[in-house]
Amino acid sequence: MSKFKALATYEETLRTGYELLPFNFTALDEVKYVLTNIAGQYTVLDRHSIETFVNHRLPETSATYDELKSKHFLIDADSKVSIDLLALKVRTKLERVADFTALHMFVVSLRCDHSCPYCQVSRQSDNRGAFDMSEETAIKALDMVFRSPSKSIKIEFQGGESMLNFELVRFITLRAEELNRTQHRDLAFALATNLAVVTDDILLFCRDHDIFISTSLDGPADLHNKNRPRPGGDSYERAIQGVQHARELLGRDRVSALMTTTKASLGRARDIIDEYVRQGFNGIFLRPLSPYGFAIKTKSYDAYEMDEWLTFYFEGLDYIIELNRSGLRFSEYYASMILSKMLTPFGTSYVDLRSPAGIGIAAIVYNYNGDVYASDESRMLAEMGDQTFRLGNVATDSWESIMTSEALLTPLEESFAASVPMCEQCAFEPYCGSEPVFHHATQADFVGHKPTSAFCNRNMAIFRRLITDLTDNAETRGILQSWVRA
Amino acid sequence: METRGTSLELSFSQTAFPLETIKKAAYRYSDSLSFEFVVESDKVRLLLHARKPMSAGALVDLAHALRTEVLDQDLRAIVARETQAVRNAILAYAFSGTGLQGDEQV
Repeated sequence: MSKFKALATYEETLRTGYELLPFNFTALDEVKYVLTNIAGQYTVLDRHSIETFVNHRLPETSATYDELKSKHFLIDADSKVSIDLLALKVRTKLERVADFTALHMFVVSLRCDHSCPYCQVSRQSDNRGAFDMSEETAIKALDMVFRSPSKSIKIEFQGGESMLNFELVRFITLRAEELNRTQHRDLAFALATNLAVVTDDILLFCRDHDIFISTSLDGPADLHNKNRPRPGGDSYERAIQGVQHARELLGRDRVSALMTTTKASLGRARDIIDEYVRQGFNGIFLRPLSPYGFAIKTKSYDAYEMDEWLTFYFEGLDYIIELNRSGLRFSEYYASMILSKMLTPFGTSYVDLRSPAGIGIAAIVYNYNGDVYASDESRMLAEMGDQTFRLGNVATDSWESIMTSEALLTPLEESFAASVPMCEQCAFEPYCGSEPVFHHATQADFVGHKPTSAFCNRNMAIFRRLITDLTDNAETRGILQSWVRA
Repeated sequence: METRGTSLELSFSQTAFPLETIKKAAYRYSDSLSFEFVVESDKVRLLLHARKPMSAGALVDLAHALRTEVLDQDLRAIVARETQAVRNAILAYAFSGTGLQGDEQV
């Protein structure tokens, strides 16, 4: 008896054909489309191939068939394991939702020594008593922090300028560590600061309690100081000095920087990136302005169109890839987060790229006066007089009432991308986010009208660019893959 | 396809394309165009109106893109119909054993 099965055994697929698995497709350009399955795995095909595939005419012997089968776009008589694998990958992508609120932001003061016209938080310049968080408020907020079931808790100090109320930062850190002795969470701290008023005493405390420093660096001195005025006009000099000193005391990898793109930044992507390289950073987050706070009041937000920002972004991305080709390891962080979603089964902790939205269930904000907001952007909106995303106050509301409030649940439910027009059939949906706060701020609607959404248009342009780069050029693909963070 | 100033009319067979397919395709271009739907016995007449001044050539290009989008929506409808059951099975499987239901064994 032959130990081999008859050829007919392996021809069953030819007789029975294949079944489609759920997928979406979106045009990349005039010719190509990107297809994504329910877990976000992608492939690129022309329209004729998609039509052939959907109409069950794709030959089993074709390379396209193998590609689609290996990436779970179809199943056939060989195996049904794709269904189990897709379920596992969907679950992995959404596992952070089950972890619940991990990021807790404390606005320890609204006071600030800078006068940035694009300030999103509408900082105040004096009256310490009125705009600093009290210990009583901090204690109540910390009680809420540990009500979250998340195994990992990150407490982030925001402002204004958080170092202007560093005594409270110290108080909150010590108290959180005390509470954590019985809570046993993976507890981390971060401090957002312009570093203008940093002292050795502050840095040593940050070192001793492993507090990560996040500062602002908008580019070379002339650009940074133009964007970020302060008395003395020396914001850049203070920031650089602070970064260097913080690295000496805390360690090189304990300090990061963020930039904001203003009208003055456009056309200077290379200068800004060169500054980050010169200062020894390993990457940069090329951020657009957000429509909140003083950015609206001073019309900074309207200073440029999204197309202008995309030109700036892609100039920056091109330059960063060029630097990588020359041997420098340097990444663009927004692309890095998206690439992680495209190339791994994991989701992201970045609130703006989450669906369901990360408001409240991934991040939450305790304002200086005890008001609780669904996100930092929600707090910024409140400073403009819009309290839509105010969830309660630590003095008067419980964790349960805050997390089950209509102010939180309604935008979460309504904006879920897999069930809203255009998003539900968009191939980029697995990589994107819901952003109900942005859409409420710009379109007065949690869902938003996606054809006119700046968030949607910006992201789709970036997604198309990254998929095209991954597909068309092996060297660029290798560079982009090296930016992936699992 | 008939063009009148900043408006243009397309016509779709109702036998070939359900109204919902045409509406979904139109929605995608609602940043540049507004629409009037005229449903007749065997066809849907779709009047496209430019939201902002644009050349006749640009309007024709949008009309071509919209017609391609109608075809794409038709394909998407086939995929959705054929994969609805397995999609629900995948999602049910993904969310099973999470302990979110009160009487569920985790």
